[in-house]
Amino acid sequence: MSELEQHTVLKITPQLDIPTRLVDEVQSRLAYVDEYIDSAEVSASGDSITLRLRRSPDQAREERIQEKVQRVVVSMAKGGIKPKVQILEDHLQRPTPYLDDPNAELIALGEIHQETDGVFTLGPTVTRLIEFFETQFLNLADTFGAVPYRFPTLIPAKYLERVNYFRAFPHSLSFVTHLREDLDVIDDFAKQAACDEHGLNTPDSSFDKIQTLLSPAVCYHLYFALADKPLPNGELTVTAVGNCFRYESINMASLERMWNFTMREVIFVGSKDFVLNNREIARQRMASFFEDIGLAYRVETANDPFFIGEFRKQTAFQSAFQLKYEIRASLPYKNSTLAIGSYNYHQDFFGRHLDITLPDGSPAHTGCVAFGLERTALAFLAQFGPDPNNWPSVVKEAL
Amino acid sequence: MGTNQSTGIDERLQALLIEALQVPPELVTPDLQFGDLPQWDSMGHMEVMILLESTFGVEINTDTIADLTSSSTIREYLKENGHV
Repeated sequence: MSELEQHTVLKITPQLDIPTRLVDEVQSRLAYVDEYIDSAEVSASGDSITLRLRRSPDQAREERIQEKVQRVVVSMAKGGIKPKVQILEDHLQRPTPYLDDPNAELIALGEIHQETDGVFTLGPTVTRLIEFFETQFLNLADTFGAVPYRFPTLIPAKYLERVNYFRAFPHSLSFVTHLREDLDVIDDFAKQAACDEHGLNTPDSSFDKIQTLLSPAVCYHLYFALADKPLPNGELTVTAVGNCFRYESINMASLERMWNFTMREVIFVGSKDFVLNNREIARQRMASFFEDIGLAYRVETANDPFFIGEFRKQTAFQSAFQLKYEIRASLPYKNSTLAIGSYNYHQDFFGRHLDITLPDGSPAHTGCVAFGLERTALAFLAQFGPDPNNWPSVVKEAL
Repeated sequence: MGTNQSTGIDERLQALLIEALQVPPELVTPDLQFGDLPQWDSMGHMEVMILLESTFGVEINTDTIADLTSSSTIREYLKENGHV
């Protein structure tokens, strides 16, 4: 029997129609409903869900899948507050020369090599392109006098707990552990550890309790470094680059949606006006750079990928206070857009939760501008193609 | 209009904030605002908004979420919408 024939298709009619604006959001969360799900699709009209299952479920399991799918739909779509859509810049119609999917050519050229789901090695041309963008983002940081920091890849579980991360984004966590300090445990592991097509098989009780995770964001590390004390001088601007990890299950695909990706951030800590003014200045400066290279993109309101329990409330809150704007670059080959960066304002959330205080004793406000380096490169390659000879002269000359 | 006309708006609003924020009555002062209590954070604020909608029948949208960030602004909004 072929792999295709082993799949079972399950069609589900949602209890309530999913608003068009939530189709992609609901579809991405369906990945976490059941381990049998290999792909999930919500119709564009929001009135039909199609699940492709890895194997045929028995009746009880199918009923559980149906019930959980409805739970996702109701949690995310029922009584949702319509977001305030604001477009700050729209350059999506900027003409770009390339229309094909660059991924196949980049793989053939050895520029993209997939190690496993969501994990990629990048070749020299893509790496040089990323270094070019890194230089531009560092130039932006320099215009603010940002000081450099280096942050670890691991982040303590107790840190993420303190900012309610486990409640808001449980689905995307990536855990780190190690073998228990016990000679028998280590010996057993060494003898028995072996991989099959599903992953690494190990003896039971091999691992210690989880104390750290792979970091999901860059700026969190700064806020924890500033926690529980007054902010010297009342304001701070920092820049840092770091590996970030967000597990996205079956949604992981190409450089568009990676498990392990890199972000360059410029982070602002201070008063509300300091953070908001600098966020806006950063947007204007980046608009000038994107115009120079001819990138087709739009900047619009967005929300973080909260899990279903907090989705409706948190996204409504973010929208109401205009806390997040995404830079969405055109992907001409699929007639869609990809978020390559964002302009974020956290109000005094981190200041209050981590006790970072301003000279007047009030909690500090924070914000950051963040650029996904691999996604920025992919969007550029999708618009200008993999051949550097066809790239804008400003990019070619810099390389 | 309203759920309990025999009780004044101040008492009803205080009861609403106590329920939404899950805090003891003594913490809910007439000048309380978003951020004053750890419980009145983003999630707490949305609990306040949802309870406002279900209790008083007022429309909650992104504008009201952004504007109604204190006990006093909520009180004024309710009065403007016929709750006394």
